[in-house]
Amino acid sequence: MSAAPALSASPPAAGSGRLARRIGGRVAGLLVVALAWEGLVLLLGIRPFYLPRLSAVLAAILATPGAYAAGFLRTFAETLVGFVTGGAFGVAVAVAFLRLRSLREMVFPLFVVSQTIPVIAFGALVVLWFGNTLIAKAVIAFYLTFFPVTVNALIGLESVDPRQIALMRSFGASPRQILLRLQLPSALPQTFVALRLAASLSLVGAIVGEWFGDTTGLGVLLLQAMYTENVVAIWAALLVSALLGTGFYAAVAFLERRLVFWGAEQ
Amino acid sequence: MLKRRHLLAALAAIALTAPALAGPAAAEPAKVSLRLKWLPQAQFAGFYVAAQKGYYKAEGLDLTINPGGPNLLAENLVATGADTFGLSGGSDSVMAARDKGLPVVCIGVSHQVTPFVFVTRKDGPVKTLADFKGRTVTTWFTGANHVLNAILAKEGIRPDEVKIQPQQVSVTPFVDGAVDVATATYYNELYAIQSRMGKENLRTFVAEDYGVTFPRDTLIVSETVLKEKPELVKGFLRASIRGWRNAFADPKGAVDTVMAIAPTLDRAHQEFMLAEVKRLMTAGAAKEKGLFAIDPEAIAKAHDLLLQAKVIGKPVDLKAAFDSRSLDALSSADRQL
Amino acid sequence: MTAQRSLAVQRGILGALLMIGLWEGIARGFSLPAYVLPAMSDVLLGTWNKRAMLAEAASYTLSEALLGYALGALLGIGLAVALTLLPRARGFVVTAVTAVNSVPVVAYSPLILLWFGIGIASKVVMVALAVSFTLFLSTLAGLDRVDRRSIDLMRSFGAGRLALLWRLRLPTALPLILAGLRVSTVRSVIVAIVTEMLGAYGGLGWVIYQAVLQINFVQVWSAIVVASAASILFFGLVGLAERRLLFWRNA
Repeated sequence: MSAAPALSASPPAAGSGRLARRIGGRVAGLLVVALAWEGLVLLLGIRPFYLPRLSAVLAAILATPGAYAAGFLRTFAETLVGFVTGGAFGVAVAVAFLRLRSLREMVFPLFVVSQTIPVIAFGALVVLWFGNTLIAKAVIAFYLTFFPVTVNALIGLESVDPRQIALMRSFGASPRQILLRLQLPSALPQTFVALRLAASLSLVGAIVGEWFGDTTGLGVLLLQAMYTENVVAIWAALLVSALLGTGFYAAVAFLERRLVFWGAEQ
Repeated sequence: MLKRRHLLAALAAIALTAPALAGPAAAEPAKVSLRLKWLPQAQFAGFYVAAQKGYYKAEGLDLTINPGGPNLLAENLVATGADTFGLSGGSDSVMAARDKGLPVVCIGVSHQVTPFVFVTRKDGPVKTLADFKGRTVTTWFTGANHVLNAILAKEGIRPDEVKIQPQQVSVTPFVDGAVDVATATYYNELYAIQSRMGKENLRTFVAEDYGVTFPRDTLIVSETVLKEKPELVKGFLRASIRGWRNAFADPKGAVDTVMAIAPTLDRAHQEFMLAEVKRLMTAGAAKEKGLFAIDPEAIAKAHDLLLQAKVIGKPVDLKAAFDSRSLDALSSADRQL
Repeated sequence: MTAQRSLAVQRGILGALLMIGLWEGIARGFSLPAYVLPAMSDVLLGTWNKRAMLAEAASYTLSEALLGYALGALLGIGLAVALTLLPRARGFVVTAVTAVNSVPVVAYSPLILLWFGIGIASKVVMVALAVSFTLFLSTLAGLDRVDRRSIDLMRSFGAGRLALLWRLRLPTALPLILAGLRVSTVRSVIVAIVTEMLGAYGGLGWVIYQAVLQINFVQVWSAIVVASAASILFFGLVGLAERRLLFWRNA
């Protein structure tokens, strides 16, 4: 059954045949879902208002492929910028918090409060401060991204065995070396858990950011479709968002497998 | 932390751009922007046509069109200088902004008559306005509710005698019969309702029939820009009117221009929208005075209505809030349809 | 230990006071108009003046958030537990859930609003969606944390799947489930507010939307202060319950 690979923590020595089979399984699964979607809508006579046929949705995307491609690229760029800066800032803040306890105690509660504020309420302020640029959207993605990364990176950094630190110090390692060689690599698994969460959060930020007046982007397409009550277009934008979301998430997960594997080896 | 730094950066940016705005604008095209009230659609076709055909450039303006969104207010963005011009909500939002001390001025009115109607099914229980009593009526709480209250008052109906609810994004509750009366703009919801229920099965209530007019879609600019750069404002108006005239003369081409920017829109709907918008923009005062004419009488009526509804706390100086001098300064050739 | 803790609390308060002072200073010092940044004192005063209206809106939003939160938590935890009893379905369900989860929750909002209307139902569904994903994934991770040797040991004593689940897997998973529950509190309030802003009959999101249109910026900020306080309260209560529950388990 296809349940097997996901269940067992199989060794990474997967042959290319297995990989091919896995990809084949995914494609087959997608096809099954697609056929079920199309078939159920036809069989049960579901009103297109609730669920249009998949073929109608795909036809809508193919009718104006340029619009969806441009929206995809634009939203992807915003997500990526927000994710990378948010991730880097999150880790940097975690390191600063680790070093300076008083800073942490002063600022951490404020960060917690900042995360309870719905950014969507500040459309005008975001436009006022950052204009109608890609950066404005990336800033919102950044805002949603950095905090989970800080929290998890800090947990990871703090869980390093103090004896190991003492050992490295006794060899004359500088704090910088201890950070780069020991603490950050050991914090990597925890950090990546947050980064995977941040991958979808930064996409949320980018999409919400596009609701503050923009011409291109998946958020714009969603909004446009919602207010013209074009259910087919909503599904089309949703499908493209799903593509972006899964792709981005998979890329982060791939990076995690690579890096954490390397980190564990150290 | 973050907030402070950005705020300071924003303050610095405001300080830097202020002298730039006041500087000489003759040689270089002036960088300006227009904030729309909503996403790109045929409701704004004339502006997009003017931009695409280079009418703004010909006036020495390097204009960017910024769409609106569900949580953006053009008055706010124009007051802060984030945008130069705005096509904002309407006479209601301009007055509310003036009431709150925002330094914005309306320099033109797009829709001369109320752009929305109250619609009900013909075979339903609502035959006359008096039948609204006790029925479920949905409307937008962004101005339309005051029009509803005003026409009900003319019929002697108090607002609490009608079940007034905020209207959904979707017209489906009305189509399905869960709502007796819904509010619909001529160019958007009415199109959706008509195409789903058939035009002949509907009855509409028009605010003008009850002596209420609510001019909407207002062009706004900040007091500072209007005072310091009157030529820039005139140039913007001239190019915009040219764009609209062109859009009305060639609606297919105008819809093409809009759909090049928002290709996922429905063409049939956009063509319908442009035709309806043309009707709204060329009605009333615009018939004699041309596009964007400000009708002081209609504005005064809307003002009294909003004052009564306590949307504005005190009377607004309408002369200062609605300034048609830029428009009047244009040659009649530039203004006529 | 307690001395250190109280020092941390003092620093936290100091940080908050510095922030508030700076905000007030910038707003007053540069005499910024309310549409750029209203002074903190004005916001607090505005909150107090409109306390009845804001409290009503907050209870509206909180009831949506709580309902959706409870529903989402039940769904998420339930699905994860069901999968440990039905391991064959796991590969498919996990793949499907990951795919659905990778679409940002807000992207579903147009559809949910059209399907469920602008009443409470659409907010409850949106919150439940957001919460159930988090809890499904964290519960699953928690249930998987069990040491294989403990399972083998209990099996050798003849324990069945249900006994394993109840005595071993769930207790081991509890910390992660509770962490998921705590994280989801803030999210549920924000998701409710964001959905309200796109269409609602009431609630803090609706207040914010109306206030933006009425150009009442102090009210926008007041609603945000209340929303933030409500989130922190919700977060704190669940955190308290978590400490109680875990403490009891440890004892």
